[in-house]
Amino acid sequence: MPDIGIISSTIVAGVLLGGILALTALGLSIVLGVMRLVNLAHGDFLVVGAYAGLFFLQFTGIDPLIGLPVVAVFVGMLALPVYSFLLAPLAGRGAEAQMMTMFAVSIILENAFVLAFSADTRSIARDYATVPLTLGPITFPLIYLIGFAISVTLILAVHWLVSATAFGRDLRASAVDAQAAATLGVDVKRVQMLTFALGAACAGVGGTLMGAAFQFGPSSGGAYLLNSLAVVVLGGLGNVIGTLIGGIALGALQSIGGLTLGDGYRDLVGMALFLLVLAFRPDGFLAKGRT
Amino acid sequence: MKHHIGKSLAAAAAATLALSIGVAFADDIVIGASLPLSGPLAGFGSFQQWGYKRAVDQVNRAGGIAINGAKQQVKLIIRDDKTDPNATASNTETLISRDRVVAMLGSCTPALVHAGALVSERAKKPMVTGCDPLEAFKSVRKWNYVWDLFFHEPELAAVPFKAMADLGVKTNKKLAIWHDNGPDGQVIGGKIWPALAKEFGYEVVQNSEFPIDNSQFTSVIAEAKSRGAEVVLVDAITPQAIAIRKQMASAGYMPKVLNIEKGAEPVQFAEALGKLSDGILVGGYWDPAFPYPGAADLAKAFESETKLTSSQHIADSYAAAQVLLDAITAAGSTDSEKINAAIAKTDKSYVVGPVKFDENHTAKLPIVSLQWQSGKAVIIWPKSAKTGDVLFPLP
Amino acid sequence: MSDAIVSSPRVGSASTGGLVEVAVLVGALGVLWFVPDFAGDYWLQLGFRTCVYLVLAQGWNLMAGSAGLVSLGTSSFIGLGAYAALGLLNRVGAPLPLALLICATAGGVLAALVSPALFRLRGLYFTVGTLALAELLRLLMVNVSAFGGATGIILQEDPPALPVLFRYVLVLAFLASLTITLCTRTRVSVILRAVRDDEDAAAQMGIRPYRVKLGAFVLASALAAMAGGIQAAKLGAIEPYGMFGLQWSIDVLSMVIIGGVGLRLGPLVGALFVVALGEALADYPEAHTAIAGVILIVLIRFAPQGIVGLAVKLPLIGRVQA
Repeated sequence: MPDIGIISSTIVAGVLLGGILALTALGLSIVLGVMRLVNLAHGDFLVVGAYAGLFFLQFTGIDPLIGLPVVAVFVGMLALPVYSFLLAPLAGRGAEAQMMTMFAVSIILENAFVLAFSADTRSIARDYATVPLTLGPITFPLIYLIGFAISVTLILAVHWLVSATAFGRDLRASAVDAQAAATLGVDVKRVQMLTFALGAACAGVGGTLMGAAFQFGPSSGGAYLLNSLAVVVLGGLGNVIGTLIGGIALGALQSIGGLTLGDGYRDLVGMALFLLVLAFRPDGFLAKGRT
Repeated sequence: MKHHIGKSLAAAAAATLALSIGVAFADDIVIGASLPLSGPLAGFGSFQQWGYKRAVDQVNRAGGIAINGAKQQVKLIIRDDKTDPNATASNTETLISRDRVVAMLGSCTPALVHAGALVSERAKKPMVTGCDPLEAFKSVRKWNYVWDLFFHEPELAAVPFKAMADLGVKTNKKLAIWHDNGPDGQVIGGKIWPALAKEFGYEVVQNSEFPIDNSQFTSVIAEAKSRGAEVVLVDAITPQAIAIRKQMASAGYMPKVLNIEKGAEPVQFAEALGKLSDGILVGGYWDPAFPYPGAADLAKAFESETKLTSSQHIADSYAAAQVLLDAITAAGSTDSEKINAAIAKTDKSYVVGPVKFDENHTAKLPIVSLQWQSGKAVIIWPKSAKTGDVLFPLP
Repeated sequence: MSDAIVSSPRVGSASTGGLVEVAVLVGALGVLWFVPDFAGDYWLQLGFRTCVYLVLAQGWNLMAGSAGLVSLGTSSFIGLGAYAALGLLNRVGAPLPLALLICATAGGVLAALVSPALFRLRGLYFTVGTLALAELLRLLMVNVSAFGGATGIILQEDPPALPVLFRYVLVLAFLASLTITLCTRTRVSVILRAVRDDEDAAAQMGIRPYRVKLGAFVLASALAAMAGGIQAAKLGAIEPYGMFGLQWSIDVLSMVIIGGVGLRLGPLVGALFVVALGEALADYPEAHTAIAGVILIVLIRFAPQGIVGLAVKLPLIGRVQA
C-alpha cells in the first residue's frame, strides 16, 4: 500500500493534468456542440499547436508560454480556410461527409508533418517543465500547475464568451437548432466558422502545453483525439464548464486507476469510464442544459 | 439499374487493370521492402530506407551485379506500411506477386517484421532483416527463408549489470525495472533483468509493465522513489523514453543510474531532452566509433545527406541490404533458392561487425554501453571499445 | 444520415428484382470460384483484400444506409474475430470454416451485449460510443497478458494456401451480399428505412426500432468478426494495434462513402476503389497518405452519393434508363 504522500501527490497531479486535458478537449467539444461534427483532425490541430510552440521558441527565443497568444491566433487562422473551403460546402450533407473530410485532413496533416519536420519525437525543452514543486508531503510537476492555471483561465474566458456575449447567444442558438437560428437572423455559417477557429485556437494552446509537459511527434494526434473524446463525453457534448469538470474528473480517476492497477491501466480506466457514462448519463455528468 | 451496375463495375475493373502496367524492366534485379514511413514508427522507417537505398546505390554505381555473367542494375522498391502489420503483409504480397522481387528486406519491430516475414516465408522468397530482436524472431517459427541480424536480448539485458560491475559504481543495489509489454520488453524486463539482478546481487524493489504507447508514468515513478531505488532500468521506445525522463525530473526523482534500452538510442532522444539526457545509459549495437569497415563514414554520410541526426538503425539496415546484395552476387543468379543458400553462407565483416548466421537464421550483433554526455553518445563499456569515461552518478 | 440517398425501392417488382439479384450473385460466385485456376497470385491477393473489405462494407452499409447507425467501431469486431479465430485454430485445432462460424457468433454476441449501452445513444453519440468500444478493447488486449499483450498471438500451423483462402473469403463475401440482398429486397428494408428516417414515428407504426437496429448491428458485427477471423488466418500473426486499429473502421467508412451510402452497389464499388487506389498510390510511399486524403476530400465534395451515385447521373446512363 503506497503511503499517503504518494496517494495525495498522485491525485493532485491528476487533477492538475485533468485541467490541461480539459483545454485540449475544449475545441472538440464546442465544435461537436455547434456543428454536430466529430472532428477527427482535432488531435492533429493539437500537434500543430505543439510544433508551433516549439518553432516559436526556436526562431524567436521567446518562451512559448509568452508566445501562447501567437500560437492561438496562428492555429485559429489555419482553421478558417479548412472551414470555408472544406466543411461549409458540405453543410446539410449529414454527419459522415464532414467527419470523413476531417479524417482526410488529419491524414494529410500527419503526412505533411513527417515530410516537413521528420518523424522525430520532439519536446519543448524548458526548465520549468521538468521541475518538481513540493508542498509538505505533496510533490507534483510545476508544469502541471502552470498548465492548469492557463487552461482554467482560458476555459473560463470561453465560457464567458459563450454565456455572456452576443456571439455566444448566436452560438447557443445555432447549437440548439441551426435552422431555427437561421430563420431568426443568425448568420449560422459565420458562427460555425468562428466556433471552428476558436476550437482550433484552444487546441493550439493545449498542444503547446502538452508539448512542454510531455513529448510529441507527427502521429501523436490519434492518442490526443481519443483522450479528448473521453473528456468531452464525461463533460457532455458542447458543454464548456462540463468539459472542465470532465477533464478534471478524468485526470483524477485515471491517476487513481494508475495508482491501484498500474500506469498501463490509466487509459483503460478512462475508456471504461467513458463507456459507462455514455451508457448511463449520455449527456455527461452535468446532464442539465448545454451552454 | 442493371446498366449502371455494368458501368460502375467496368470503371472499377479498368482502374484496377491500369495498375498492372508499370512493372519493372525485365533486366533489373528487383528487391523490395515494406517500411513504416508513416505512423508511430515512421522514425525507424526513415533510417532504414536510407540504409537500404545507400547499399543498393553503391552496388549500382559500381556497375551492378553479374547475373549469369551479364551485369544488371538492382532496383529497390519501397512501400509504406503505415506502421500497420496488415499493410506490411499486403505490401509484401504485392511486391512478390506483382513486382516479382527476387528477395525482400525487412521492416522494423517484431510485429511488422513478422507480418512481412511470414508472407516471404510462405512464398519461398528470401528476406534479410534487422530491427527484430533475435529471441522474438526465433519464437515465431522455424524459418527457412528469413534471416535476422540484430542484437540478442539476453546480451543486451546483461550490459548494464556488467558495465556497473566493471566500472565499480557504488549504489544501494536497490533496482527498479520499468518495461513495456512488447515482445522484447517482456523478455528483457519481465524475465532476464530480474534473473540477472539476483545474480549480480541487486534487490528488485519494483517491476512495472506498461503498454508500449503509455504516456503517463507518475505512479511508477512515485513508487520507485518511495522505495529508494538508486538504479533504474527501463525498456521503452523513444517517445516513452522521453516522457519517462521528463516525468522523473518533474517528480524530483534522481536515481544514481538510469539505463533506458531501445528508446534512448537515437540522437532525437538527446535533442528532445537537452541536458536532461546527460548521464543516461543505453545499450547500443552500433556506433560510428566502431572499428568496422565504413562505420565512421556511414553516420557522416547520413547526417550530411539528410540533415537529420543519426541512429544505429542506419547501420543494421545498411548491413542487411549488403548481406542480401552480396548473396545475390555470390549466387550469380536471381533464383530464390540459390540466393537463400548464399545468404546461409554469409561470413564477412560488415559495418555492424562480423555477420554469420546460425542454425536459427540469426546473427548476433555485438553490444556496447553508451552514455549521453552533452548531447553526444560516448561508449563507456567495454574497455576495449571505450571512447570516454562514465559520468556517475546521474547528474 | 437521413440525407443519404437510397435507391428507391420499386415495391411492386421487389420480389422479381430480388430474384434477379440473387441470380447475379450466384452467377458471380460460380464464375469467380474458378479464378484461382487461371489467375496469378497477385490477382488472388487483390481479390482476397477486396472480398474482406466487401464483407465489412456490406455490413456497415446495412447499418448506416438502412438503419442510420454510423459506426466507428468496426475494428472491435475484426479484432474479436481475429483473436477468436487464432485461439480456436491454435488451442482446439478447429477447422477454419467452423472457427469462422464461431467468430460470427462471438461478434453477434458482443454486439448484443454492448447494444443496451450503445443504443441509448442516438446519432453522434452512437458513433463516439462505438469508437470508444474499439479503443477499450484494444487497450484491454494490450494490457491482458493472457491474450499475448502487445506481442499478440502467432498461428502455429501454416494457414491454408492462397487459392483455398480466396475461395473461403469469396464464399464469405457471397453470403454477406446474399444476406444483405434478402434484407433490402424484402419487407425488412421498409422497416429499416422507417427506423432510419424517424425512429419515433416508426415506433408509433408498431415497429420496434430497438429490435430492428439490434438486428442490423448484430448482423454487421457477425460479418466483421468473420472478416477479422479470415484475415487473421491469412496473416498468421496478430497483435492488438493491427487488429483493433482505427484504420479498419475508417477504411470501411471511406469505402461506403466513396461507393455511395445506402446504395446496393456502393460497398462493392467502394471496396474495389479503395483496393485499387491503395495499389496505385503505394508506388509513391512518401506522400501516398496525403494524396489519398485529397482524393477522399474531392470525392466527398463532388460525388455526394459516391461513385455509384455519380455513375447513375451520367447522361449516357440516364438516356438508356429513360
